[in-house]
Amino acid sequence: MSAHATTGQHWDTSTAPLLVAVGCLLTVPLPFASYFQYHSLGMAVGFLGIGVPTLLAGISVWVKEGVNQKHDQFGYSQMALPIFITSEVLIFLGLFVSYWAVRLWAPLWPPAGSPHIGTTIPIIMTILLVTSSYTYHVAEGKLEEGDMGGFKSMLGLTMLLGFLFLGLSMFEYSHLIGEGFTPSSNIFGSAFYSITGFHAAHVLVGLCTFLAVLLPALNGKTNMDFVKCAGVYWHFVDIVWFFVVSQIYFW
Amino acid sequence: MKEWIFTTDHKRVGILYLIGSMAAFAVAGIMALLIRAEQFNPGLGVASEPTQYNTWLYFHGAAMILGFLIPGLTGWAANYLIPLMIGAKDVAFPRLNALSVWLFWMGIVVALLTFVIPDPPDIMWTGYPPYSVKTAGNTAFYVFTVHLIGFSSILGAVNFITTIIYMRAPGMGWKQLNVFVWSLLTGLIIQLIFVPVLAAAVTLLLFDKYLGTHFFDASAGGDTLLYQNLFWFYSHPAVYVIFLPAMGLLFEIVSTMSKNRPFNYNALVAGMIGIVFISGEVWVHHLFTSGMPDWIRVAQMVTTLMISVPVGIMVMSLWGTIYKGSITYNTAMYYGASCFLLLLLGGLTGIPLAMAPLDLHIHGTSFVHAHFHFIMGIFAAFTVFGSVYFYFPKMTGKMCNETLGKLSFWLNFIGVNVTFWPLFYIGIAFGMPRRYYDYSRIPEATPYHHIATYGAIMVGLGITLMLVNWVYSAIKGPKAPENPWRSASLEWTHAVSPPPHGNFASPPTVSSDWTPYNYK
Amino acid sequence: MNIGPALRILGAVVLTAVPAFASGGGAEIADPAAGWDELWKHFLIDVTLIGGVFGAVALYWLFKYRADNINQVGTGPTITRAQMFGWALIPAFIFMADDFYLAANGWTLWNTYRTVPKDALEVKVTGSMWQWNFEYANGVNSDVLKVQAGRPVVLRMTSDDVAHAFFLPKYRVTEDLMPGRITYLWFYPKEAGKTYVTCVQFCGASHADMSADVEALPAEQFNNWLASAGAKPAPDASGGQPAPAASGEQPGGASGKAL
Ligand code: HEA
Ligand code: HEA
Ligand code: CUA
Ligand SMILES: [Cu+2]
Repeated sequence: MSAHATTGQHWDTSTAPLLVAVGCLLTVPLPFASYFQYHSLGMAVGFLGIGVPTLLAGISVWVKEGVNQKHDQFGYSQMALPIFITSEVLIFLGLFVSYWAVRLWAPLWPPAGSPHIGTTIPIIMTILLVTSSYTYHVAEGKLEEGDMGGFKSMLGLTMLLGFLFLGLSMFEYSHLIGEGFTPSSNIFGSAFYSITGFHAAHVLVGLCTFLAVLLPALNGKTNMDFVKCAGVYWHFVDIVWFFVVSQIYFW
Repeated sequence: MKEWIFTTDHKRVGILYLIGSMAAFAVAGIMALLIRAEQFNPGLGVASEPTQYNTWLYFHGAAMILGFLIPGLTGWAANYLIPLMIGAKDVAFPRLNALSVWLFWMGIVVALLTFVIPDPPDIMWTGYPPYSVKTAGNTAFYVFTVHLIGFSSILGAVNFITTIIYMRAPGMGWKQLNVFVWSLLTGLIIQLIFVPVLAAAVTLLLFDKYLGTHFFDASAGGDTLLYQNLFWFYSHPAVYVIFLPAMGLLFEIVSTMSKNRPFNYNALVAGMIGIVFISGEVWVHHLFTSGMPDWIRVAQMVTTLMISVPVGIMVMSLWGTIYKGSITYNTAMYYGASCFLLLLLGGLTGIPLAMAPLDLHIHGTSFVHAHFHFIMGIFAAFTVFGSVYFYFPKMTGKMCNETLGKLSFWLNFIGVNVTFWPLFYIGIAFGMPRRYYDYSRIPEATPYHHIATYGAIMVGLGITLMLVNWVYSAIKGPKAPENPWRSASLEWTHAVSPPPHGNFASPPTVSSDWTPYNYK
Repeated sequence: MNIGPALRILGAVVLTAVPAFASGGGAEIADPAAGWDELWKHFLIDVTLIGGVFGAVALYWLFKYRADNINQVGTGPTITRAQMFGWALIPAFIFMADDFYLAANGWTLWNTYRTVPKDALEVKVTGSMWQWNFEYANGVNSDVLKVQAGRPVVLRMTSDDVAHAFFLPKYRVTEDLMPGRITYLWFYPKEAGKTYVTCVQFCGASHADMSADVEALPAEQFNNWLASAGAKPAPDASGGQPAPAASGEQPGGASGKAL
């Protein structure tokens, strides 16, 4: 590196960040505003049509460079992740505080017209998520032993459990919506869907991260830092779920 | 070109931040001129209709804070200076860093779209519901601007906190850090903790407006005040995300130009840490008139006033830094010196606002404008301008034109005083309200608005000269000596200007008696 | 209260200012606006003193310690551990004392502001985009706030649509209005006279036009007006909107007084 440095000729570059940023712009703000603010489905689809491929291209370049160690890697991901998670915790806290505020000041809770929300599904979901945290832990162990096959299958199992979790969540939603309970029904609906939905979005991000681990792993490539971080993130999502369950379903 | 837009090098990322934030500043500044033009006389009609004025003001406030100062300080200054000051090759996550800057740019793009879309946002930078939910304007773009820039700054905070903790040069202890490094670390901790709450608040706003939820809808069990509390829970600490790095930069300039160590370094750092702790307990001072329970309003009056203690300690250090110094004046130090007065003026006018009963008369008047323009729009902005002059030789290897620099400094400095003193006065004397495109009810304020508008034109001239100077000098300026201000800090002593990728020919190590302020 | 403000500061420094509650028992009405002007004067002296001292020192040093030649370095003293604490804690103590002094005075005046005197004239205020409606106890509605000179007025306020803020510059009071909550403020129109109310919470396109006249009338004139206006049917008395008092059980809005 210092040889390059003194000549001043070499600059590290990566196309991934710009692609991801532009992809983000095109997949969320523009389609959302096109559809909801300007009521133009066509425009929304158009933006998504360019945005999603851009975003995916960006992410895949990113992952590829990551597993190939193409860039200055200082190996601090595992130190940085807790810092990032601090701020994630605060997002959830913001949502929970809003929920507590509207709930504690409400004269009647849940407000009239809310359906009874069963606790069977969330219990199953909890079991799924806890199991998946465990299977990922096993997967990490396999990778450390150098058992690539075991790693892949445990990772696959983890993802399967994650998808089942999301599936159950969708099932519950469709059931409730069928009963006429939607985010706009009342304040409980708003809080229920926002908080569980936000958590589900985190599960989805976690699954995407796993996908980004799995695909290179199928070609035999991994990045230990990345694997560990994905795991910590997954455990975090798991822990948040306990709060969601206790605050939303069992209180 | 490719080496710029795809760069992952912290210095180039820093310069991209600078370009983006100055662009935001220029456009927001032009909006300020339009605002001043409209307010020249009551009901003048520069804006074709009130909503257009509100859109200008929305953009002005949002872009100045989210687009100019926060990215200018925690983006440009942090990126350019932190790795150099701590003797690191780069930041901990170079690609994440590049992602931060581009997310910030996308945020600017969304904000700029305000001027081309139908029904632009007209909800002010505070975006209070229920208005922001009821308006026909595009609240979504406000929310996404906050999301993009907020996410960018969370990533930035993660990156820099990691960098500062783990990548200091071998031997560099916590007491050997530049003041700016400390100020940024403390500022970013605030950022990391509070931005997510803002993100949550505006997300709920988005849901309320577009997806039919009821978080802020009193008729369905929601609560309007909830948003205001969440918003200020972030946005008050956000002013210290601006203030702390601004102080840090000021210390770098003042200490170097007066060839004196920062006085009472330990107390100074303690003061900054103190602000981190206090900043989260004072947000209700924006809600003194809001109908919050009385006990919390009074309690937060006291905590808000207490902010002057850590700030006061920083002030003692700042003053002590010039005591028996040996001050040479260049453009950077002109800005630095003026900041002594601006800090007092802006900070001390926060005191009556912090006194709940006094705030009952000046809340929502142009007195508040004058307060925050002096502390933020001028003090903090001047530290940014000053440090662009200060680090200009480092960034470009060229010297900036001093004559032009000083001329534009005087235009700026006199101009801002001409602009904002009258606003203090009409706020207090006539109760001139904020966010009024037409003040026919208060015709006696007209002459003062005239003066303010003349001042703004003067600032506009000064800023234009400053930008011209920067661009011209970056291209045509004379070659800079390696260490023009004879600084003792690593970024000047160990790296050539501009530094190459990887920063240092050989990684610096420092001894236990080294400090960045050793001018002997 | 006739000790010089400078002395009071000194006293505050020594005692770190115990909150000095106002003697609220007297029969006379404490006028918040007058209290405001008084406290503002104290604040001005206090802060001008601090700003003046720091500003003068800064200017003097910035001038005095200019370098004679380019190679000169600063000779600021290196401080011992004790000095380090001294230079931090002593100023901190002084600043804190001043803060407590300001806070104590502020607290006193705050109580004046929030304690509504007995027999105040009560008026219900409803803000909507972009007008004010004032409703009196006898059901009279008006878009001009007429009050009785010499009698305190308490406003119970709520909003029909978005947040507004009721600002009476002359009487030095502001309080927000929002749907679903009742807020209150009171003021003391000592003498007959005219002024206006403006809105200082951004509420949309005509935010700047949301103003109404406020008229303090001599007692007799006021009563006549109230009686004669009462004869007319109130403009929207039949409107379905909940009267502020009735919405006391609304979520979040325990009651105006509790807030
Ligand atoms: C960089 C930005 C910045 C900074 C640093 C500050 C600093 C402070 N601000 Fe300001 N403020 C804003 C930006 C900032 N503010 C903005 C943007 C708004 C308006 C938002 C909106 O509504 O749109 C605002 C509004 C605002 C309000 C709400 C007003 C209202 O809407 O009614 C209040 C009220 O308490 C307040 C108080 C203070 C105080 C007490 C400080 C203190 O931190 C100041 C501390 C400094 C000093 C005190 C001076 C130096 C100290 C000494 C010399 C020591 C001795 C001094 C004493 C003992 C007093 N500010
Ligand atoms: C960093 C923060 C910042 C800065 C620097 C400024 C700078 C200025 N601000 Fe502003 N302002 C805010 C933050 C800031 N402001 C906020 C947060 C609000 C509240 C919004 C709200 O209420 O919601 C506000 C509100 C506000 C108002 C209130 C309007 C109202 O309530 O109705 C006014 C009115 O005078 C004003 C004026 C100005 C002026 C004249 C400047 C001047 O200093 C600007 C000087 C800059 C220029 C004049 C631009 C020069 C550039 C060029 C000429 C471009 C040249 C281009 C090339 C060479 C390519 N500002
Ligand atoms: Cu009503 Cu502003
Ligand atoms: Cu604040």
